Amino acid sequence: MFTDRKHRRGLTAWLVPMLLGVSAVSVAADDAVSSMPDSWFEIPKTASEVGITSFSQSPMLDDAGLPPVNERLPDDPPVIEPLNNIGVFGGRAQITLGDSWQFFNWESALTISADLRNFLPNLAESWEVSPDGRITTIKLRSGLKWSDGHPLTSDDFIFTFNHIWLDTDINPVTSMLVIGGRIEKVDNLTFRYVFENPNPMFENLIAQYGSFMVDPKHFFVKYHPSFADREFVDAKVDEIGVPTWMALLDALRSAIIDEGLDMPTLRSYKIVQRTPTMVRFDRNPYYHKVDPQGQQLPYIDGIDAEDILDNAEVVTAKASTGQLDFAAFTLRTQDIPLLKLGERNGEIKVHIWRRLHSSDVAIQPNYNYADAKYRALLWDVRFRKALSLAINRPEMNEIIYFSRGVPRQVTVHPTSSYFEPHYATAHTEFDPDQARALFAEIGLKDIDGDGLVEYPDGSPLTITLEFLDFETPKGITMELVASYWREVGLDLRLKLVDRALQSARAQAGEMQMTLWHADRVTDILFPLVPDWWAPRSTGWDRGMWNDWARYYQTDGELGENPPEIIRQMQQWTDDMRYETDINKRIAIGKKLLQANADNLWTIGTIGLAPHPVVVSKRLRNVLPKGIWGWDNRWTLAYHPSTWYFDED
Amino acid sequence: MSDVTINPAPAIAADLGTDTLQEISPRQLAWIRFKRHRLAMVSAGFLIAMYLIATFCEFISPYNTDTRNVKAINAPPMSIHFFDREGTFHLRPFVYGYHMEVNPDTWMREYSENTEEMYPIYFFETGESYEMWSLFKAKTHLFTTREGYIHVFGTDQLGRDMFTRVFYGARISMSIGVVGVMLTLFFGVLIGGIAGYMGGIVDRGVQRIIEVLLSLPTLPFWMALSAALPVEWSSLMVYFGITIILSLFGWPGLARQVRGKFLALREEDFVMAARLLGAGRLRVIFKHMMPSFTSHIITTATLAVPGMILGETALSFLGIGLRPPVVSWGVLMQQAQNYQVIVMTPWLMIPGLFVVLTVIAFNLLGDGLRDAADPYNTGGNRD
Repeated sequence: MFTDRKHRRGLTAWLVPMLLGVSAVSVAADDAVSSMPDSWFEIPKTASEVGITSFSQSPMLDDAGLPPVNERLPDDPPVIEPLNNIGVFGGRAQITLGDSWQFFNWESALTISADLRNFLPNLAESWEVSPDGRITTIKLRSGLKWSDGHPLTSDDFIFTFNHIWLDTDINPVTSMLVIGGRIEKVDNLTFRYVFENPNPMFENLIAQYGSFMVDPKHFFVKYHPSFADREFVDAKVDEIGVPTWMALLDALRSAIIDEGLDMPTLRSYKIVQRTPTMVRFDRNPYYHKVDPQGQQLPYIDGIDAEDILDNAEVVTAKASTGQLDFAAFTLRTQDIPLLKLGERNGEIKVHIWRRLHSSDVAIQPNYNYADAKYRALLWDVRFRKALSLAINRPEMNEIIYFSRGVPRQVTVHPTSSYFEPHYATAHTEFDPDQARALFAEIGLKDIDGDGLVEYPDGSPLTITLEFLDFETPKGITMELVASYWREVGLDLRLKLVDRALQSARAQAGEMQMTLWHADRVTDILFPLVPDWWAPRSTGWDRGMWNDWARYYQTDGELGENPPEIIRQMQQWTDDMRYETDINKRIAIGKKLLQANADNLWTIGTIGLAPHPVVVSKRLRNVLPKGIWGWDNRWTLAYHPSTWYFDED
Repeated sequence: MSDVTINPAPAIAADLGTDTLQEISPRQLAWIRFKRHRLAMVSAGFLIAMYLIATFCEFISPYNTDTRNVKAINAPPMSIHFFDREGTFHLRPFVYGYHMEVNPDTWMREYSENTEEMYPIYFFETGESYEMWSLFKAKTHLFTTREGYIHVFGTDQLGRDMFTRVFYGARISMSIGVVGVMLTLFFGVLIGGIAGYMGGIVDRGVQRIIEVLLSLPTLPFWMALSAALPVEWSSLMVYFGITIILSLFGWPGLARQVRGKFLALREEDFVMAARLLGAGRLRVIFKHMMPSFTSHIITTATLAVPGMILGETALSFLGIGLRPPVVSWGVLMQQAQNYQVIVMTPWLMIPGLFVVLTVIAFNLLGDGLRDAADPYNTGGNRD
C-alpha cells in the first residue's frame, strides 16, 4: 500500500473555503494559504533519485573524530525539501523544554503526510499492509544508524515490541493497540507485525506513535532483565534509588539519570547535558536526512532547552521579548495580542496556525457517576441538548477567540474523510429559551425561587466540573459556560485540579464532569482511537463512561454492562478497526459520528482555533500557517530539521 | 523620655474644654489619644467607608458581578466628563461610550472614546435588579447610566465591570478578615484564659499544643487544608471553611498573650478580693480580669485582620481558596496573575491596590489603637 496522491491537496481544499466562511475579519488575516512543497505530500525522494553524489556536514563535526559523512548517512538517504530556502549550518536554538517535541520530532518507521490523511515512509524504505489487514510488513532503509553509530536493524523493533510492549511487568494489561499481535523477523532490515484480527490501521499507529515502537536494543539489553544479569540490574535499581527495573528503564529513557544521557537516539538531536533547569542537545551526527544539496540535516547545531515547567506566564514573557527562538506549545490564543506587540519590536515573528482540535473544550458528563439520580439526568438526551443550546458560542468566539474560531461540536477535523459539516454544527445554535423548555420538559424546575433549577423531587441540583487548565483556553471558556448555564438555571461549579489529581479522579470515574480538548480527530487517529465517541478505554483525559469501557475491555469481567446504544457504538468502533475496505470503514465511522451528533455524548464549544507559533527573527523555513495538534505531532509533517538560522 | 517629664493633664483638659480632670474616664482618655494619631484617624475613616461600601455593594455597584458587556472586553477605565467635546459644561457628569476596533494586524482590541455616544450618569437610578443581602429584590443603584454603560475601573477579559467586582470582592475579603478574627479571638481568649487561669497541667498541655501549631509553616499547611475542602461544597461553605482554616493559625499567638496576662493578673489583689467575695470562676474571668486587657486584645485583633485578608488573597491567588463565581480580591487577582495583564490591561490589578490600602489602613489603625490604649502613653512620641 503506497500513498494515495489524490488527497495531497486536501489541506488547501478545505482551508480556503473554511477561512472564507468563518467571517470577514479572518479573511483579512488568513488570506494567504501557505504553499508547502509538493514533496511534503509524497514519498520522499532519495539522494540517488535526485542525483546527489556528494554529501556535506556541519563544520561543527569537522574535527569531531567521526567517520566521514557519507559513511554516517544511510546508503541512500531521503532528501527533504525545505519550505523556502536551502539553509546554512550553525547556531544554537534557545527554546523551552515544553517545545522540544515540536522543535525536533521523533523518528518512526513511517511519518505523516502534510495532508493529514496519508502516511509516508521515513526510517522505512517501503511498507505493505496485507489485503486482509493482518500483516504489516516494514522494510527499513539500509545503512541507518543510531546516534552512537550502531546500525539500526529489525532487532531494535522486535526488542521493543516483545520486551517493552508485551512485557507483562511493564504493561500488566496489554495495550489495546497491540493486543493479539506478534512481530516476526524476515531479515535484518525487514520485519512484520502479525495480528490475530485484522488490524489495517496499525500503520496509523506506526506513523503517529511509532517512535515508541523502536528502542536501541544494544543499549537496553544492559538494563533489561530478559537479557542482562539480574543481579546487575537489581544493583543498578538500588543504586539509582528507583523502585523497580521498569522505573529504571523510564529513568534512562527520560535521561533523568546520567546513564540515560548515553542512550542512542534516532532523532535529529541527542542529549549531551542535563541540569535541573536546562537540557542541552547537540546535533545527531548520524541523522539520516539530507537537503536537496546533500547537506546533512538538521541545519541548526544545537539546542538549549530551558526547563520552566510549562509556566505559561514565563514562556509568554520570554517569547514576546524575543528570548526564545521557537515557542508555541505553552502559548495561548489570548496571548496573541501581546505576542503581536512583541512582533512590532522586530525581534520575533508571530505565525498564526490553527489547532486541529475539533473543540478546544470537550465537556464530558460522567454517565457512570455514583449518584443514580444524577446519572439518570445525564442520560436524558434532552438534558445534554439543553446544555449545548444554552452556550452562546458566537459571543464566546468573540470574547476569547477574536471571532476567529469556529463554533463546533466534538467531531472529526474538516480534512478527514469521515467529516460531514452537520456533525460539527449539531445543536450549536444559541437558544436559551429552548434550553429552559427542555429543562421544564425533563421536570427540572426552580422550586425554591433562587433562579436555579432543582431535581423533579425538589432536591438541589449542582454540578461540579473538575478540570486541568492547560494548552487550550479552558478556564476562561468554562467561566463563560458556567454563566450561560446559570442563565438557564443550572448551577455549575468549577474546580481546577492539577495533573496528578485529574488523572487519578478521571481514571477512578469520580468526577461529575470533566473536560479536555478534542484532538485525535483526523484520519490519522480518529478511526484508530475514537475514544470521544464510544467507551473503549479509560484515560486521564476522559471520565465519561469508565464502567462501560472496563466492561468492554475485559469482556464483561469488570465494569458494568452498557445500554444497547453504547454497545452498538462499541461494536462500530470494532468494525471500523477491523475493516480493510476504506470506503466501508468510512461508512461505519460516519455512523459513529452521526450517533454523536444525535446524542451529544460530549459537548463542544469552539474549535479549529488560532494558535500562536512564535519564531525569532533569525529562524527560517518555519511554515507560517500550519495545523497544530497531537494528531500530526504538531510539526512532524512540516520538517523542523530544515529550520535554520539566518544571522544577518 | 525619662529625662523629660510631660504632664498630659493640661493638654487633655484643653481637648475636653474643661478643667476638671476627674470627669475623664479611661475610655475617653484613650479616645483623645487616638484622635491625635492622624494616620490612624484617616485609616479608620477609610476602613469605615470600605466596610460601608462592602455592606451595600449591591447598591453602590452599577452592575452585577457576572454581567458581561460584550462590547467592552478588556476595556480600559472610563473617565468621567463634565465638559463635552464642544467644551460645553454639563452639570450632570457623563461618560463617552467605547469605540472598539480589533486591529487585524495586532489582534488588539483598541478602545477609544466615542464622542458620538454620551451617557449621562444618573444617581439613585433604576438599573439591573439584584438581591440585597439575599433578602429582598431591588433595582436602585447609587449611580448608573440610563442607556449605554459605565465602567469606571474598566472591564475584565469577559467584559465584566471591574468597579462592581472590586466592591463585591471587598465584601468577601474584608468580611473574611473580620469573621476570621472573631473566631481567632474567641478561641484565643477562651483557651488562653483557661490555660492562664487554671495553670498547672492544663496550662502545660495547652502550651505544648500551641508550640506545635506555631511551629507548622503556615502557607503550606493552609494549602493542604484548603485542598482538602470537599469539591462539592458550595461557595458559602468554602467561604466558612477558608475562614476557619485561616483562624486556625491565628489563635495560638493570641492565646499565649492572654495566658500571660492572666498569669500576671491572677495574683493581683482585686482578683483575690473578688474570689474571696465568692465570685465564680467565669465571673472572675469575664467581669474582673477581662476588662483590664480588652484594649490589648482589640489592638491585637485589629493587627490580625490584615493577616487574614492577605491569607485569603494568597489562597485564592494560588487557586486553592475561594473560586469563581465567588468574587473576592484574591479571586480577582488570580485572574490578573499573568504577564499580559501587566503589559496590556493593568487596570485588572486595581483589586491589588485595594488590598494594599486596606492592609496599610488596618496596620495604621492598629498602631493608633495600641498607642491610645497604652496607659503609659503621654501623647508624645513613643521613642
